[in-house]
Amino acid sequence: MIAIALRNLKHRPGGFVATFVSAFLGAALLMAFASLMDTGDTESLTTTAVVGGGWCLVIVAFAVTSTLSLSVRQRADQVALLRSAGATGPQLRRMIVGEAAAIALIASAAAVPVGYALGRVLLSLLQDTGQVAESVGYRFGPIALGTGFGVTLLGAVAAAYATARRTAGKAGGRPERPRLRRVGAVIFLLAGANCSVLTATLMDGKGVDAMQTAGQAGIWASIGLALLAPELLRLVTAVIGPVVRAFGGVAGELAVTGVHSRARQLAAAVMPVLIFTGVATGTVYMQGIEDRAAEGQIQPEYAQDVQTLNYVVVGMIAVFVAVMLVNTLVAATTRRRREFAQHRLAGATRGQLLGMVSLEVVLVTVAGVLGGSSASLFTIVPFGSARAGELWPSASPWQYGVIVALAVVLTAAATIQTTRRALRGPATAGVRA
Amino acid sequence: MNDAVRVESLYKTYENGVTALDGVSARFASGTFTAVMGPSGSGKSTLLQCAAGLDLPTAGRVFIGGAELTATKDTARTKFRRSRVGFVFQDYNLLPSLTVEQNVLLPLRLAGKRRPANARQILDRLGLGDRTHELPERLSGGQRQRVAVARALVTEPAVVFADEPTGALDLRSAREVLGLLRAVVHEYGRTVVMVTHDPVAAAHADAVLFLADGRLAGSMAHPSADAVAERLAHLGDLTTRAAA
Repeated sequence: MIAIALRNLKHRPGGFVATFVSAFLGAALLMAFASLMDTGDTESLTTTAVVGGGWCLVIVAFAVTSTLSLSVRQRADQVALLRSAGATGPQLRRMIVGEAAAIALIASAAAVPVGYALGRVLLSLLQDTGQVAESVGYRFGPIALGTGFGVTLLGAVAAAYATARRTAGKAGGRPERPRLRRVGAVIFLLAGANCSVLTATLMDGKGVDAMQTAGQAGIWASIGLALLAPELLRLVTAVIGPVVRAFGGVAGELAVTGVHSRARQLAAAVMPVLIFTGVATGTVYMQGIEDRAAEGQIQPEYAQDVQTLNYVVVGMIAVFVAVMLVNTLVAATTRRRREFAQHRLAGATRGQLLGMVSLEVVLVTVAGVLGGSSASLFTIVPFGSARAGELWPSASPWQYGVIVALAVVLTAAATIQTTRRALRGPATAGVRA
Repeated sequence: MNDAVRVESLYKTYENGVTALDGVSARFASGTFTAVMGPSGSGKSTLLQCAAGLDLPTAGRVFIGGAELTATKDTARTKFRRSRVGFVFQDYNLLPSLTVEQNVLLPLRLAGKRRPANARQILDRLGLGDRTHELPERLSGGQRQRVAVARALVTEPAVVFADEPTGALDLRSAREVLGLLRAVVHEYGRTVVMVTHDPVAAAHADAVLFLADGRLAGSMAHPSADAVAERLAHLGDLTTRAAA
């Protein structure tokens, strides 16, 4: 089955692009942070590596899992075909896991030069801020390679194994396990709340160190709310669905009906929007509060430099999450080729389907942005209270506006562009796809 | 009698060089039930799809209910098709996320028309009155195909095309669906053109049109399953001999 796995990769490389991109970027980020530990073991190097790398670890694991499971589900037909040709469940599992391992290896290898370069940038920033001596030379060694390859490979294999168990396990469908998902959501939200409370109490007065717990709070809360994406989407649809229906005509009606019966599939699109908004808003405003709190303190230049370093880290993570957002949406929309073709056979024009998808994008982004904004409060409120003694940051809303606009533009562009592509060619060919 | 469908010298050559239709002209009178038969690769499905506006012929003309299908753009063809043509597929092609009733009314909604007063009646007559709020996955194959027939009828089209409508059904459901298509013609006065490879299915039609290698190869009125089967076997002989 490993041979089939490799043939699949050679035959249809396009089907694996999404997984490759997320594994590649994830490995590069992890290597960059881990290389700081190769470079030396001073406190600031280790802290940056652990804090930055830790965030990446969580997000990379989530990204690789979600893209991989999407790309496997996309190929349910092939799995069914192999099954009918006599492949057993364990054989199919070996094939899917083999593919994932091969992609993870290739992606990690390709990520080495990028990780090296990013690590250099991080070190020079740390040196510029005076946190690391100028004399320290950059080293990219076993810890960088071990973490980069190890985490990417382990994450991909574990995700593939879990997905394969669901896809290849039974010939029928994969039953949803909402209880497990909801329990997971509650655990993540509790972890987030715990970090929030710690930030507001224990870390009060501890200065910049409060960033660690505050940042984590927002990430855990984002993941927790992302797991509740189907419920969130239903709630949003219940509230603004009537408006969409009233103004969207038949496209609006189809969009709303679609959400009711396909909440799970559309929730896959809500998750990255939510995580992007949550993580980006949380970190940007946390940094804003920090900047103002540090204002007027003794070393203005130093503060400025730390600020740059933090924005670079935040920027890298935001870019990664944005790529994951586009990745997920493209994969999720491509999967709907057959559904689109069936609509067309029933008489829908391309314009009507684009209208339907655009209105779905509205519901998805509203759900994602609302969830993400709520998650970011897990970071902003306690950090503001600990660092500046104010619950509501006296920050300008324009950064939030930029983040939301980015989320909307990325979601709309990725979804609508992919829909256009899925609508190409005759509908009779589309239903066979 | 008016023609529900008329095709004039249709040609269809695919990008890979395969010629599926090699100059087919035919007319299907209103209120008739015609079966189109032929060996695999004879072009029967292509004929149906070109006549229905689902596929674009390389050359030739198509008239539905007297109006010529001239549009080449997808949107314009869709608009032409959805008001004049109903289509029933072998694998139903019902939207899995829509209920029975929503599926049936979908073509009307897409055309921006109101829900017709007789929607309920159509569903009742097709024995689906108590399943209107079910999703297709809860229905048997025969019931799904009945929903598909109801959907094809709801816009009151000039013609209903059916491509192997019984291909995925068991014998009993197949007989039911064929009886339904007959009723569509003889009770509702609609026109049905059905592609099939099954002589028993073809025997439910008023007439059979034979196709071989993308060309017309004769017709038969008042077909019986045995006569159709014999003619088909003979058709196979002819094409083999021609190829040899």
